[in-house]
Amino acid sequence: MTSFSFVETTAWQCAGCKLPLQPAEVKVSYLNSVFNVELMVCPGCGFVLVPESLATGKMLAVEQLLEDK
Amino acid sequence: MQPAMDQTQLRELESRCIQEEQPFCTAACPIHVDVRAFMAALAKDDVREARKILDRTMPFPEIVGRLCDAPCRHACKRGEIGDPLAVGRLEQFCVSRTGPMLKLPKLPAKGGRVAVLGAGLSGMTAALDLARKGRPTALITPDGEIGGRLRLLPDTDLPGETLVQARKLLEGYGVTIIAGGPPDGAIGATAARLAGEYDAVYCDLDSVELAGVPDPLTLAVGAGNCFAGGGPGADDNFSVIKQVEDGRRAALSIERFLQKVSLSAQRDREGSCATRMVTVIDRIPPAAEIRPADPAGGYTPAEALAEAGRCIQCECMECVKQCAYLREYKEYPKTLVRKIYNNLAIVQGTRSANKTINACSLCGQCTVICPHDFPVAEVCRSTRREMVATGHMPPSPHDFALEDMRFSLGEDCRLGRHQPGHATSRFLFYPGCQLAGSSPELVIRAYEFLVARLEGGVGLILGCCGIPAHWAGQHALFTETLDELRAEVDRMGRPTVIAACSSCLAIFGEQAPELNVTSLWELLDGLELPEHQGPRPPAALVLHDPCTARHRPDLRASVRSLCAKLDLAVIEPEFGGELTDCCGYGGLMQFANRPLGEKAARVKAERGSGDGLAYCAMCRDNLAAAGRPVAHLLDYLFGRAGDPDPLARANPGFSVRHENRARLKQRLLARLWQEESVPMPAHAAMRLAIAPEVAALLDCRLILEEDVRQVIAHAESSGRYLVDPGTGHWLASFRPVRVTYWIEYEPTDAAYRIYNGYSHRMRLPEETP
Repeated sequence: MTSFSFVETTAWQCAGCKLPLQPAEVKVSYLNSVFNVELMVCPGCGFVLVPESLATGKMLAVEQLLEDK
Repeated sequence: MQPAMDQTQLRELESRCIQEEQPFCTAACPIHVDVRAFMAALAKDDVREARKILDRTMPFPEIVGRLCDAPCRHACKRGEIGDPLAVGRLEQFCVSRTGPMLKLPKLPAKGGRVAVLGAGLSGMTAALDLARKGRPTALITPDGEIGGRLRLLPDTDLPGETLVQARKLLEGYGVTIIAGGPPDGAIGATAARLAGEYDAVYCDLDSVELAGVPDPLTLAVGAGNCFAGGGPGADDNFSVIKQVEDGRRAALSIERFLQKVSLSAQRDREGSCATRMVTVIDRIPPAAEIRPADPAGGYTPAEALAEAGRCIQCECMECVKQCAYLREYKEYPKTLVRKIYNNLAIVQGTRSANKTINACSLCGQCTVICPHDFPVAEVCRSTRREMVATGHMPPSPHDFALEDMRFSLGEDCRLGRHQPGHATSRFLFYPGCQLAGSSPELVIRAYEFLVARLEGGVGLILGCCGIPAHWAGQHALFTETLDELRAEVDRMGRPTVIAACSSCLAIFGEQAPELNVTSLWELLDGLELPEHQGPRPPAALVLHDPCTARHRPDLRASVRSLCAKLDLAVIEPEFGGELTDCCGYGGLMQFANRPLGEKAARVKAERGSGDGLAYCAMCRDNLAAAGRPVAHLLDYLFGRAGDPDPLARANPGFSVRHENRARLKQRLLARLWQEESVPMPAHAAMRLAIAPEVAALLDCRLILEEDVRQVIAHAESSGRYLVDPGTGHWLASFRPVRVTYWIEYEPTDAAYRIYNGYSHRMRLPEETP
């Protein structure tokens, strides 16, 4: 499975773990499709950040594509 | 369930849309030259393209283009608004300035030898058409010359070289031109001899005479292999285009004869024929024909350009002209329904028309406009239903509206009671979900008025008629919703339902005809109205009928009567009443395609200039969102001194509508029935500080304040959120059901200050739903 990277430096830090986020591969899914993507994640608790640009951009486009399959 | 459309239904539907019918000129032309496209090319100063259009259909354009008697001119729609187009003169202009632009293909040679006796224009046409079809063709002419009586024309009418070119063309396609036909008058025997030597014979009656009259449809003479046409007509009038028509008709008959198929089947569209085209010319200013300054020299390029520019490019497009949806997707009903059919037929691959199907407002304006009542709304709605039934409906277009509907039907908003102090109801006020969301105070005032004026008890139900589910194609949910309402009305003793919303009324009329229903407007029109004390509009208001009142002339008349009684001057927009537009909410258009919904609202708002008056809560709010001051009729019916100006009221947005509905139930219960409401969830008390631009962004992204509160409550209880040490902002997410909401905020002493919000449907690993 292809892996896409949406890693970008971010000022957000995990409040609970008090750690900066780091790139990590995560599985995201929608309508029976699963993708491996690289996102910024808290190395302590695994909190995954979906930045606004991704949610309203590429992620939305893929959601709509999958909805029309 | 039945599929939304099978092929027979598709064909039936397609045939209702007349946009692809021939324009009047083309239908009238015996050989159906695409005059409209010819004019369009000339009007763009593209003479070569215009010539291509002639070359495609016209045999010997240098000849026919100069001599055609243009029967199309009598059919020209321009004739009703000025003079018909000078088609003949424009063809002369075109062919005198261009050489052949297209060489039409010749099919591979095959058997079936044909003799054409007589080389007038009809014989020439028959020979050319048959040679192109690959039939070995001999053109037999007494003196070896072609053209028949055309040769008698002066050079100014038909330059001699055109016949030389025509001869080259015929020979180029393999026609053998044979000198040595019989002397005039001795034709019968020759034709009989040729009929024996050749597989088929065509006699051009311009050159020869023949005993026996050809069949007008097939031009067959008798039952054998002999055909005849051309020459002067019964009125002794020699029509050039009739020569061409006969030659072409005979060539087709001979081809069919040689293929041993029916000579007469399906030939009704040959020659001049009727067209179902409708072109409305109401708004087109008249224009007189451009006459050439030098009649003998014909048009100059500038004159030709101006004359061709008078062509109105006849088409129908009546529905498309008015419908923002059809314009947006660049479809007319015929192409739309084909696209929908193909979309339904996709087994694997992208269903690229999903969004198109879901974006129609289902308002039915096009059907009223259409000369053949094309049911676009019904096609789109039944297609949505099939998409839901087969699991192909994408979730995102309708999720929000369906959640909104569930909320209106849920414990927080739903209410059903007899009038306080009554155990039965003769009437039942049903304001509808959107009025409750937009103007809860008006619901209370209207209800109190009805209670005061009507005898026998006026019950009240707050809820939703289910129309969002109906529009979304969610048949099961819709039926269940309507059934519950029906059952509740039954339990209350089947009172007369007084509905304020014309969408509810439309649903009751179509889907629950057994209910006894009246519109609030008709009912109020029969009562003595309250004395108006609130703000008055400064000028006459544009009256915006809702799309769901399209088929309710009685209701619309009552609204006008009420306006008159209230002394409210109203302006009728050009497209009101039966032709009114949808505000963008209908069919859930604004959820499937938000920019289109906004466009539709602007179209409706701009149908009249000036402030507006609506009697549908969604129209009221969407037109207000489109920037037009709009009041609701109830604002003036039940206005009170000290009310803010209803024309200044903004679109409340989705969050406020939710809250309004919930609070309406609480207020009514407390005030009229002295009952406590169900407790609100703890986070409902959470105070939010949201700047107007952030609130607008959240509304646009369909994020409710309730969602914001849930995200924050989840972050607080779980301790899982992000912080930005630079700004001090927090970022948290929560997925209540199918959507993950992200909220950027900052806790302050007074409230949570909200900076941003966004959402996605894709699921992260830690999210379970």
